[in-house]
Amino acid sequence: MVEGLAIGACYGLFATAVVIIYKTSEVVNFAQGEMAMFSAFVAFHILSVYEWPFWAAFVITMIFSILLGILIEYLFLRPAKHPSILGLIVITLGVEMLLMGLAGWKWGAEQKYFSLPLNPSVTYEPVKGMIVTNWAIAVFAVTAFIMLFLYVFFKYSKLGIAMRATQQNKHAAKIMGIRTERVFSFAWGFSSLIGAVAGMFFASRATLDPAFMMEPFMRAFAAAYWGGLMSIPGVIIGGGLMGLIENFFGYYWPHWKPIVAFIVIILVLCVRPSGLFAKHFVKKV
Amino acid sequence: MDHFKCENLSISFGGLKAVNNVSFRVEKNSIFSIIGPNGSGKTTIFNMISGIYKPDQGRILCESQDLVGFTPDRIARRGIARTFQNIELFSNATVMDNLLLGRHIHMQTGIFTGACLWGRRSKAAREEILNREIVERIIDFLDLQSVRDQYVANLPYGKRKLVELGRALALEPNILLLDEPSAGMNTEEKQDLNIWIKDIQIDFKVTILLIEHDMNMIMGISDRIYAMSQGEKIVEGTPREVQSHPEVIRAYLGEEHPC
Amino acid sequence: MMFKKKMVMSLIAVLAILSVATMTQAAPPAGFDDNEIRIGQWGPQTGPAAPWGSVARGSKLLFDVVNEEGGINGRKIKYFIRDDMYNPAQTVAVVKELVERQGMFAFVGGVGAACGMAVKDYLAANKIPWVGPSAADQDFVNPLNPYLFAVYPLYRDEANILTKYIVDKLKMKKIGILYQNDAYGKDGLEGAKERLATYKMGLVAEIPVEPTEKDLASQILRLKNSGAEAVLMYVNPTAAVIALKTSANVGFKPQWVSANTLSDYPLMFKITGGLFEGVITGAFGEIPDSKNPLMVKYRDAAKRLNPQERWGTFYYAGILFADPIVEALKKAGRNLSADAVMKALNSIKDYQTIGPKITWTEKQHQGTDSVMIQKCGPNASYIQLQGWTSNDLATWKK
Ligand SMILES: Nc1ncnc2c1ncn2[C@@H]1O[C@H](COP(=O)(O)OP(=O)(O)OP(=O)(O)O)[C@@H](O)[C@H]1O
Ligand SMILES: [Mg+2]
Repeated sequence: MVEGLAIGACYGLFATAVVIIYKTSEVVNFAQGEMAMFSAFVAFHILSVYEWPFWAAFVITMIFSILLGILIEYLFLRPAKHPSILGLIVITLGVEMLLMGLAGWKWGAEQKYFSLPLNPSVTYEPVKGMIVTNWAIAVFAVTAFIMLFLYVFFKYSKLGIAMRATQQNKHAAKIMGIRTERVFSFAWGFSSLIGAVAGMFFASRATLDPAFMMEPFMRAFAAAYWGGLMSIPGVIIGGGLMGLIENFFGYYWPHWKPIVAFIVIILVLCVRPSGLFAKHFVKKV
Repeated sequence: MDHFKCENLSISFGGLKAVNNVSFRVEKNSIFSIIGPNGSGKTTIFNMISGIYKPDQGRILCESQDLVGFTPDRIARRGIARTFQNIELFSNATVMDNLLLGRHIHMQTGIFTGACLWGRRSKAAREEILNREIVERIIDFLDLQSVRDQYVANLPYGKRKLVELGRALALEPNILLLDEPSAGMNTEEKQDLNIWIKDIQIDFKVTILLIEHDMNMIMGISDRIYAMSQGEKIVEGTPREVQSHPEVIRAYLGEEHPC
Repeated sequence: MMFKKKMVMSLIAVLAILSVATMTQAAPPAGFDDNEIRIGQWGPQTGPAAPWGSVARGSKLLFDVVNEEGGINGRKIKYFIRDDMYNPAQTVAVVKELVERQGMFAFVGGVGAACGMAVKDYLAANKIPWVGPSAADQDFVNPLNPYLFAVYPLYRDEANILTKYIVDKLKMKKIGILYQNDAYGKDGLEGAKERLATYKMGLVAEIPVEPTEKDLASQILRLKNSGAEAVLMYVNPTAAVIALKTSANVGFKPQWVSANTLSDYPLMFKITGGLFEGVITGAFGEIPDSKNPLMVKYRDAAKRLNPQERWGTFYYAGILFADPIVEALKKAGRNLSADAVMKALNSIKDYQTIGPKITWTEKQHQGTDSVMIQKCGPNASYIQLQGWTSNDLATWKK
């Protein structure tokens, strides 16, 4: 139960990364998972090759992930002049392939061991039968922290407000003197950072390999979809719900578990078709 | 030194010459109007000035600085604000929030620090208070008190036009570009607008470039008028000169209802 | 006159098309000459399955040793490895290239059931023997494919043997299974059920897993609550890591028993952060430090000829998958022909090197029903629990 919720929170966290980019640039970033994968590999590299302490690896990885996001936006997304949505998606798919190829070339395709400094044998049982792991506590704490930060950031900071404005109306934002390109850089950097955190959580549960984020990305995307792709609290709730539903099915009908998320997506689509691409219209100024 | 000047501006969209060799000069603190039939290229001129389109040729000089090639945000920071023909507001935000966004360029504090994170007396807090004061003044001025905290998406068209005007004013611009501000307004609203524009010119000391189809308004408030058709100049001069120009009468005023 | 010209032109066109058609249908170049015999293998040298790429390199060691010892009846083996990145479409491409450009006498090994399936019929159509696929698939041998000779024990037999071991030797009654929801996992499930039926027992939990699933919390909880003392794992390495990590988190400590697919202990030990210790697996080869004289010989050869390669299970699996073709080539004699080698392959009986005993007949190309049972000890060491064990319930033999 709690574990399911924690996994859901992890999906939600990752979905937040997807949403931040979608909100500002209306691009579904299919390279999100691989950006997180790449950052997790950097952490792995620092930990296992340089054997630095975890906190140092963590800080460096965070910085790296921000730069990675900014760089990808700058190199691949920005030069695309007047791109169509499809064109942008194809670009992100290309970036995905590129990152996967690079990671495979640098670190090989074998699975790697990755762990967070959380003792797995310490668990808590506040209520009989409800086991809470360290991992789950860490996920909840980090998710709560990031949510709080995002809330304050979007509500009060100059850049956060600029981001919201850009998302609502890019032309108007520019005319207000908002440097929208900076907003995009920041959105990508920040999204990449959140993705990297979620990626490390996922890697510590499973293994680290160039393809390891594909599946979590699909689920996170589903979670994002539930949340309407726009609202950050919405996707966290979407993620949590998905974790719970999946866990429920995983326990009672394990055959169904892998597809419930996608069945629910289809149901959402039927009930609220104004999901994914409804927000797009070409604006003439 | 010229306050604001366009020289030989031209732009085409795939073969269509939307604006061709347009030049004019605008005196400081004057109202300069651009008129012409639909599709004659008026909005396109504004789009070039505010950096949304880059002219194929020509210069846009503001206090002798060429603005061609500047990004829209840079032009905004240079003191040129505008409104849009089709209203470009942040529609999922309140009137107040929209106007506060107009203050963006005047916010000094860093990108991360929000006012709330600092003490009451901090620089950020003082700045916030100042920004709110200015915005409140604009709200009073444009009589937007009653809709202050409403979401823009729920407002009637005429009010939204005013919010957009208010937001442009919040930038405290030197030059204000107004693209058909009276479109969609009733007679009463138009009269108010007329007065406000005049007040903006005088009280706020702003140079105004105005696109309008309402001839009464144009003739009443403009210092100079630039009449164009199919991307090219017909005539430029005082309202009286333009009004009597035969081609203007034929191309524009001759039509019964030019909107 | 005009008309005639047209006729000639179209005649030429038709001839051209015909000649192109016959050219592509021409028999591929022969797989051997007086000096060499060409043998190929596909396998993932890059991409997600690259860890299994060592199989193809293991076969290379065998052929290098054979060549060092003078080749076979005066001919050297020329060996080709092609990287298919574990992608069946690539497998088709590289196999065609080898067959049609180089001329292949036989193929050996070849990782991946799907990759093998993609070229199985093509190889048969070209009458090229394929020995020791590095995958166990019922469809390879049933119905009989006259050109395909399987060495790899079937997962169903293995699960059967492992289940017997759990019940008879470990004396455990409550057995659960975590199986990948595909042919591999389902074969394991079948085998376990088949064996348990003879004890009038059933599985306490049957949990399917999608190969890509990254979260097994609920499935593991289900296993835990079923009270399983032993859990069979017919999953891929990543799923095994997730299962072991998740179990450690919720304090579930059954005896894990897995298919030979996870028998590369150093790898599994590393990627589970040591949680693999104590896991029992089936095995299709001897333990790495076996005293078997042939193991000693190949181990030394590997140190000499390919020192940077890790002496792992999948590496020397490449030897045992390819061994029988060497035996058959020797039997066929200097007067080499495809028919002679096919005949020799079909009469291989109780042939054993470092793998299980292989027997092939005209009617049966599944070479063995035997596995060993091994256990991962401290520091990824191999502990042999039980030597070659055959499955008395193997249905395919009857
Ligand atoms: N982005 C664009 N792409 C292609 N053509 C354009 C673009 N923007 C403007 N045009 C064309 O340029 C010409 C001038 O348009 P513009 O919007 O400047 O006219 P206008 O004078 O503002 O008309 P209205 O009175 O209807 O607002 C029109 O033919 C219009 O279709
Ligand atoms: Mg216009």
